[in-house]
Amino acid sequence: MRRNFKRLIVCGRNLKPQRKLIKSFTALMEGKINKQLKKVLKKIVKEAHEPLAVADAKLGGVIKEKLNLSCIHSPVVNELMRGIRSQMDGLIPGVESREMTAMCLGLAHSLSRYRLKFSADKVDTMIVQAISLLDDLDKELNNYIMRCREWYGWHFPELGKIISDNLTYCKCLQKVGDRKNYASATLSEFLPEEVEAEVKAAAEISMGTEVSEEDICNILHLCTQVIEISEYRTQLYEYLQNRMMAIAPNVTVMVGELVGARLIAHAGSLLNLAKHAASTVQILGAEKALFRALKSRRDTPKYGLIYHASLVGQTSPKNKGKISRMLAAKTVLAIRYDAFGEDSSSAMGVENRAKLEARLRTLEDRGIRKISGTGKALAKAEKYEHKSEVKTYDPSGDSTLPTYSKKRKIEEVDTEGETTEKKAKKAKIKIKAEEVEEEEEEEEKVVIVEEETSVKKKKKKDKKKHIKEEPLSEEEPCTSTALPSPEKKKKKKKKKDNLD
Amino acid sequence: SKPSDRWQGNAMSGGRGGWGWGRGGGGKGGGDSGSGSKGGFGSDRGGQGKNKNRRRKGISVSVEPHRHEGVFIYRGAEDALVTLNMVPGLSVYGERRVTITENGVKNEYRTWNPFRSKLAAAILGGVDQIHIKPKSKVLYLGAASGTTVSHVSDIIGPDGLVYAVEFSHRAGRDLVNVAKKRTNIIPVLEDARHPLKYRMLIGMVDVIFADVAQPDQSRIVALNAHTFLRNGGHFLISIKANCIDSTASAEAVFASEVRKLQQENLKPQEQLTLEPYERDHAVVVGVYRPLPKSSK
Repeated sequence: MRRNFKRLIVCGRNLKPQRKLIKSFTALMEGKINKQLKKVLKKIVKEAHEPLAVADAKLGGVIKEKLNLSCIHSPVVNELMRGIRSQMDGLIPGVESREMTAMCLGLAHSLSRYRLKFSADKVDTMIVQAISLLDDLDKELNNYIMRCREWYGWHFPELGKIISDNLTYCKCLQKVGDRKNYASATLSEFLPEEVEAEVKAAAEISMGTEVSEEDICNILHLCTQVIEISEYRTQLYEYLQNRMMAIAPNVTVMVGELVGARLIAHAGSLLNLAKHAASTVQILGAEKALFRALKSRRDTPKYGLIYHASLVGQTSPKNKGKISRMLAAKTVLAIRYDAFGEDSSSAMGVENRAKLEARLRTLEDRGIRKISGTGKALAKAEKYEHKSEVKTYDPSGDSTLPTYSKKRKIEEVDTEGETTEKKAKKAKIKIKAEEVEEEEEEEEKVVIVEEETSVKKKKKKDKKKHIKEEPLSEEEPCTSTALPSPEKKKKKKKKKDNLD
Repeated sequence: SKPSDRWQGNAMSGGRGGWGWGRGGGGKGGGDSGSGSKGGFGSDRGGQGKNKNRRRKGISVSVEPHRHEGVFIYRGAEDALVTLNMVPGLSVYGERRVTITENGVKNEYRTWNPFRSKLAAAILGGVDQIHIKPKSKVLYLGAASGTTVSHVSDIIGPDGLVYAVEFSHRAGRDLVNVAKKRTNIIPVLEDARHPLKYRMLIGMVDVIFADVAQPDQSRIVALNAHTFLRNGGHFLISIKANCIDSTASAEAVFASEVRKLQQENLKPQEQLTLEPYERDHAVVVGVYRPLPKSSK
């Protein structure tokens, strides 16, 4: 009976191939019989006709059903099992305890990987490495191409100016080599006819020096290298796209493969990226600018790596900040879905992207529409009114007479204020009275120009205030006659007064 | 500029471990059972936790062995409980490492945080015997992310074995990563309630350490003990009173657990609370099927 137990426990362990082991063990765990167990049991049945002691009652039941062996399961069995387990090393001849431990370790790792549903194509290290390699390749490729151009330019400088694309240059070089061969060679596969003719013509009258066979040989070597690396780069890019689609389909749909891969590489892994907040993802890649702005208490950057996403690229510069924020918010959802979710479909990413695109459209439309108090009035295309602004120098400003006191009375201030406001405002409000225009012209032109620029700097709040103030003070210009005061008023003071 | 500096420090040291532990109260190695209860609330060095607790010149730093084999006490500016690092140069969960040169041999030790590890809290609390010593085989139920398991692995050394059982997949992933570096940890991602499911992975063990925090944990430990614990083997169970019964008082809960264990032939020998590191927690140490005294 003992031998039976030994075989039962050990049968799996003597097998070499790991996958079979895992299958048999998972089957045992769930209480099912697998082939190896069947084989062993059948052998034993032939040997002895004794009842089989089983540790797992469920397994015993299954064995009884399928193989018609009588099984026992009782506390006695458990005691026996304990005994066997303690004496395991002695019972199994020819297996060292170290080997057993090693086998157990390997098996435990395989089983845990099976449990965690570890799939080799969901490893994001590939992405990180691939994107780094892509960047490295680009750098190296650029270096090599520059070197190639410079080197060959010694022999045939005109070619560099005619053919601007690097790959065609190298292919051309590779095909022909020495300048003399240009007449006979056919470059029509990768060059349009006119260019080819140009090249051939230039080859005849080139001012480059002669070079020997060996030199051309070396240049050709370099050329082949460049072409190989270019081809590999395109291959690598395809590979990266495939991997990104497999590992993080939602992110790929939202921001694109390159930006997605860069984000993952920047964070280190997909899981790390998923732990970041949306605001972090928005400015990931702009850390230098961010901390510099934080230290000097200035405005922080609005976008980092996300700037290169197609959604951000296709908006007007004014809305880039808004879109980048919205995109970051939806992208982190996609990232978390990919990192922690069980299924790998891109439905969620597609949905979110559609939402974002709709929102983008409304944003763009709103820019065309006017944002007023009611919001219903559409922007009216203003009729072109030619305002002749003939700026002449007003000598009244430079008087040597003593100036009036800086303290101005309120009425004076108001009249000054609304005229400058009017000048600064883009012709949203129709200026009815001609008098106003005259008044404005009379004003010191220098000051007006300054006003305009300073008012432009004002924040939106002030503009709104101006709009509100406008209807109130509109009456005044008609009635008052503002004297062009020769006082030199400080800009800032005026601002303050205007805001009152 | 101070707030912005601190912010910057926070963001910069995102990946850096040492932070939370450095701030979370010293962890003074009381060491011997006599002074164990003093606990150690180290001085909080403020927000700048970038390992600013450098030793002043003049204080000699040393490591001395603890009463328990395999555990050491680091004596420096602050005392700490440490274990010899089996994989020098690597931190498992961002804990602080110290390197001491003795007789020309450089040894690296990892500090053991009693606020994160119940075993460290028990040692500092002055438990009489932990029974985990070099070359022993340990069955660790409730391994979580492998933080305490790594210290157990340090104690038992390369000749011992610790079977780490953890059911959660997320923690299991971290556990497997720890086990990749340390070959004496065998990860088992199964439910500890069904020891028969992993019976082919585990041989007989000398010690069971249970930190499962389940209401039926006595039954879990008993099942595992009947299957895997050798005669005369020991067990350490960490009992969280809230987990078993949140309405009863802590002492009543501990007493009822001890009774349940006794019924399963698990004889408790000592019990101690984990104050000041944990609230309403206790560790029970005992022996399973004690060998008859006449055989000794």
